Amino acid sequence: MRLLFQKLLNGIAIGSVYALFALGYTIVFSILRVINFAHGAIFTVGAYLTYALTGAAFGRNGQLRNASLPLELNFWIALTLGALGAGVLGVIVERLAFKPLRQRGSDPLLTLVSSLGVAIATVNILQYLFGAENYSFGETLGSMPASVTLVGGELPVVIRTKQIVIFAVSMVLVVALTLLVNRTRTGKGLRAVAEDLTTARLLGIDTDRLIRLSFFISGVLGGIAGALIGLAGSFNYQFGVTIGLKGLAVIVLGGLGDIPGAVVGGLVIGVAEAFVPAEYNAYKDAVPFVVLLVVLLVRPQGLLGRAQVQKV
Amino acid sequence: MLDFLNSQGTIYVSMVLGGVLGLSLYLPLLAGQLSLASPGFYALGGFVAAVLSTKTFDVEGTYPIHLVLVELVVAAAICGVLAFVVGLAALRLTGIYLALATIAFVEVLRVFTLNLELTGGAVGIFAIPQPFGTQLSYLWLAGPLLIAAALFTWRLEKVRVGRAFAAVREDELAAASMGVDTTRAKITAFVLGGVLAGLAGVIAAHQINTWSHRQASFDASIAYLAFVLIGGTRTFLGPVAGGLFLTYLPEWLREQAKHEFLPAWAAEFLRTGRFIIYGVLLAASCVFFPRGLITPELLRRIKRIGRGGSRPPGQNIRPEPEVVA
Repeated sequence: MRLLFQKLLNGIAIGSVYALFALGYTIVFSILRVINFAHGAIFTVGAYLTYALTGAAFGRNGQLRNASLPLELNFWIALTLGALGAGVLGVIVERLAFKPLRQRGSDPLLTLVSSLGVAIATVNILQYLFGAENYSFGETLGSMPASVTLVGGELPVVIRTKQIVIFAVSMVLVVALTLLVNRTRTGKGLRAVAEDLTTARLLGIDTDRLIRLSFFISGVLGGIAGALIGLAGSFNYQFGVTIGLKGLAVIVLGGLGDIPGAVVGGLVIGVAEAFVPAEYNAYKDAVPFVVLLVVLLVRPQGLLGRAQVQKV
Repeated sequence: MLDFLNSQGTIYVSMVLGGVLGLSLYLPLLAGQLSLASPGFYALGGFVAAVLSTKTFDVEGTYPIHLVLVELVVAAAICGVLAFVVGLAALRLTGIYLALATIAFVEVLRVFTLNLELTGGAVGIFAIPQPFGTQLSYLWLAGPLLIAAALFTWRLEKVRVGRAFAAVREDELAAASMGVDTTRAKITAFVLGGVLAGLAGVIAAHQINTWSHRQASFDASIAYLAFVLIGGTRTFLGPVAGGLFLTYLPEWLREQAKHEFLPAWAAEFLRTGRFIIYGVLLAASCVFFPRGLITPELLRRIKRIGRGGSRPPGQNIRPEPEVVA
């Protein structure tokens, strides 16, 4: 029972980051009906930016050998600035890989390739500048204890402080985003654009601005997710690829373009991974995709989505 | 000259196989199905070749070519059956959902080949025997495969089955109401693509000499999609050209680093940072060539120039039907 509880906690901690990451996918998908394959790269940049802003030095293999910024920011300030930087990168990606294609009215499939092109370029720039080694935050989060014991005794249930932080930050952002979308004027605009882009434009909504905004929000969420996962473990220039794929499973599970769905999907997949028995640990990475396949075949509209009626 | 060709043999064979892989994605697309499953079948075909040649046949000395042909047949059969089963389930989905399902299929396959003992686990299978002495000789296998696949695709578009594909691509509902068996058309297209990718995998496994789970990657899925989208989605020459060109591009960039007149930093950038350029070119070509490099209009123009600009009487009076995505 306690083991079960421990696994559940671990699953929720990792699942909340999946949720955060997937929200970035989903907000762009809900508006443009395309998947931004550069999201994984933005996530990685978020981790690198935050790392650099805390004043930590880079390794010996890149072009910027042993470089470090002449400042030593507190982790939280670095995280905020890093996330904003990732948001700006999101807007740049939109300008380079999405807007030109949208203006020409070309096949939406092309943006899969153009956004992947930007992702390949971004990730390889990271490798070129900072090398291929693993980095980790030497961060202990100030004077906070490393872990909290929830249940003592012989079989203690322990949760790392970092996991609590990750979960808390994720949930705060999810609530903030939900409020933004449901309670503000901007959110109303976003929902209108998501419903029908052309009609929204005809009604005088500045759709280009809202699309830029959605990419900015998406980038910020991705950047924070990157820094938080980097905080919990280590990261390198490639670590956005795996999570980029798992994020796809998350958003399909929750229903493409559905905000609460992405959160539920993230938590479900995180917990599902945590409950893989130890002897099958090697197959853990397949879990999100098996879930994805099953969901697509049984309930393609996702857990919370509504079935679409085919009109003639 | 021959020395030069031999030193470049690896890349030429990879380019030709790139063309085949482009076609393997183009075939399902003919029936309107965006499938990214090709790397999965490519990896599977390679594993069939690797397992058969190292474990089942186990020949001393030069590997006989007829056994490669046996492997091709076995791989085609296995990939065909698997594609049929996957297709039955996955082809109920359309558009981006199908693309995601096929990505998931590739990823599940990758994790399994990473963990199964039969496929060599994380290191994969080493020392796959070579039927040829030089890399360039692999063109004797890869070349005919590409030519056969291209001719097959070209003819397919002119016959009943291919017409059914086109009908499904244009409007599935309309095709169904005109009596086209849409499920059958879609599954046929999917199976053809899977078999073709598997055949390419067999040749690649012998050529590369080792084979591992890394062949079935998400990056490969999108790279092959790029072959088709950048090459052109409206004629079979598009994916072939895209596969040849995009496989050669990173190698070409690396070659350029050898020029003496380049400053040291530029040469260094071409060597270690060439995938930055590749990524930028990938994105740029989507923006500047949204219909791909090779379009039906381009082919028509070339034909007209070939005829000396004059238009023979009776031709091109009716406008050719323009197929739109």
